[in-house]
Amino acid sequence: MALIETQNINKIYSLGDVEVNALKDVSLTIEKGEFIAIMGPSGSGKSTFMNVLGCLDKPTSGIYLLEGIDVAHMNRDELAAIRNKKLGFVFQGFNLLPRTSAMENVELPMLYDGLPAGERKEKAMAAMAVVGLAGREDHHPNQLSGGQQQRVAIARALVNNAPIILADEPTGNLDTKTSIEIMELFVRLNEESHITIILVTHEKDIAEFSRRRIFFRDGVVVSDELSGKA
Amino acid sequence: MINIPATIRISLRALRVNKMRSALTMLGIIIGVSAVITMLAVGTGARQRIGEQMASIGSNLLMVLPGSTTSGGVRMGAGTQPTLSTGDADAIQKECLSVMYVAPVLSGVAQVIYGNQNWSTGITGTTTNMLYVRDWPLSAGRPFTDEEMRSASKVCLLGQTVVDNLFGGINPIGQIIRIKNVPFTVIGVLDAKGQDPGGHDQDDTVYVPVTTAQKKLFGTAFPGMVRIIMVKAKSADDLASAEKEIAELLRQRHHTGQKQDDDFTVRNLTQMMQAAEQSTKVMTLLLGAIASVSLLVGGIGIMNIMLVSVTERTREIGIRMAIGAKTWDIRLQFIIEALTLSMIGGVVGIIIGISSSEVVSLIFEWPTVISPVSIILSFGFSGFVGIFFGFYPAYKASLLDPIEALRYE
Ligand SMILES: Nc1ncnc2c1ncn2[C@@H]1O[C@H](COP(=O)(O)OP(=O)(O)O)[C@@H](O)[C@H]1O
Ligand SMILES: [Mg+2]
Repeated sequence: MALIETQNINKIYSLGDVEVNALKDVSLTIEKGEFIAIMGPSGSGKSTFMNVLGCLDKPTSGIYLLEGIDVAHMNRDELAAIRNKKLGFVFQGFNLLPRTSAMENVELPMLYDGLPAGERKEKAMAAMAVVGLAGREDHHPNQLSGGQQQRVAIARALVNNAPIILADEPTGNLDTKTSIEIMELFVRLNEESHITIILVTHEKDIAEFSRRRIFFRDGVVVSDELSGKA
Repeated sequence: MINIPATIRISLRALRVNKMRSALTMLGIIIGVSAVITMLAVGTGARQRIGEQMASIGSNLLMVLPGSTTSGGVRMGAGTQPTLSTGDADAIQKECLSVMYVAPVLSGVAQVIYGNQNWSTGITGTTTNMLYVRDWPLSAGRPFTDEEMRSASKVCLLGQTVVDNLFGGINPIGQIIRIKNVPFTVIGVLDAKGQDPGGHDQDDTVYVPVTTAQKKLFGTAFPGMVRIIMVKAKSADDLASAEKEIAELLRQRHHTGQKQDDDFTVRNLTQMMQAAEQSTKVMTLLLGAIASVSLLVGGIGIMNIMLVSVTERTREIGIRMAIGAKTWDIRLQFIIEALTLSMIGGVVGIIIGISSSEVVSLIFEWPTVISPVSIILSFGFSGFVGIFFGFYPAYKASLLDPIEALRYE
């Protein structure tokens, strides 16, 4: 069974009488442990696809199976539970809670999973160590650099042991050096913890870190290639 | 699964981040709750005071006053004509079935002298029945005997105020005092009663037998005349029938014709007191209601701030949803925030309300009573306000679309 399977997914946005076909018959299979870069020009439907994979949005038609389960008929709270346990999100703008310590940001997913405080603390500390931020638990986002904030966001995505991390342009707001550090962290997580990583980027250098590249154009998958990079 | 303690911590942090705003929002509730507490305390105090005074006057009381006769077309006020007598009092006692005790009163003001002390006070000529009519026990000594009543003996009972002013520390029983230069032996002291509803000191009085008052102190051209007849009905239910029986009897005794006006008036004291109590009750409710409006305004303030807060924190809500917050996680977060605002406001309001009630009773010498009920009520009501006015903003927050919320700047 594939980790992720999409069959003829369409997403149509209706803006008055104009219809935008953001995804057209997207059929893809993603196995556990893959490291995928989704590429394509602006407006090609990359984010729309990520939102569908992230159970934040539902396709207009088509089937999305996550670990073999069709999520189409799930309600808001069931989808929230799936996001909580199966998916970790990393955003371009970090999306950490302001005025809240790094530690508490990382604890957040476990809070909604109902874990007791002691266990939350222990796991959050461990996740902070994994992303190389041990000792910065009490820092607030505005006391951290962009790269460090993104590491906190990655720790937050890791902490519930989600098998999949979805990252929409995670290096879009970072300089080249920091971007490479973040990508190396993703590679490490993929190789050591076998976490499936799906990230959106339009930079070739960043995509180089992945092992499979999927190109979108006007909502259609135009190419899907494996790279030789091991 | 909803993690309540953690949700409470999230809410508290949000309130701490915006301290000034939180404080200002609470102010509405603080003012509302303290106003409710103070108003209820003032109103309850007034009611309690009237209730106490009512009890001190005695229960189930009727007062028969002479007068309101027509004299050459001019109607005179009640009590201006000497139309009541000791005979009337005896007849009421004997014939009116709804009546328990009757006490005639002939009173006047006179100077009372003991040794080199003197004191001006009200002298009440009456019978021993007066003590039963007024539910007024003696703290020392004994009441008038039948023999003393019959023979118009020069004996008296003193109110506590008179005792305090004339005797200082001396035991007054057996001492001789002079009223209008007539020597009287003190045979008893009336229990202290305090003020009546009109604010008069009821203990500033001297009781003498009514016969003595008629013959030796306030004698008039009409022998046997009394100024007032006090009547105690058998029960509250008997008041109305007692009133009717007395009126019938007196019309008969006074040979009042069919078309003639009564030459007496029967007043229902208990009814008058109850009316007074009723009006303070209405006043209390009214004050409470006005104060509740400010609590309501405080609640609307909370809703307003919570709506602003939800809008400001749209992105935060989006992040929480993406990470796995369910509908009720989001709702509870905002409801608990609103609840915390209103409950803290409520507690502070209760403290301020209690203190300002104390201030009111100190400055205006107005008795205030803080009832536990009003505290529990205010606390419960502010909690209710928090949940009620917090729900809509929380509901709105929980319905946000996570993608749009995440995109919100
Ligand atoms: N909420 C929306 N309403 C209407 N159109 C949308 C919405 N979101 C995305 N689109 C449209 O769908 C297309 C794909 O957008 P998106 O997935 O964000 O592209 P990308 O991330 O590849 O730049 C674009 O034409 C965009 O304008
Ligand atoms: Mg995009």
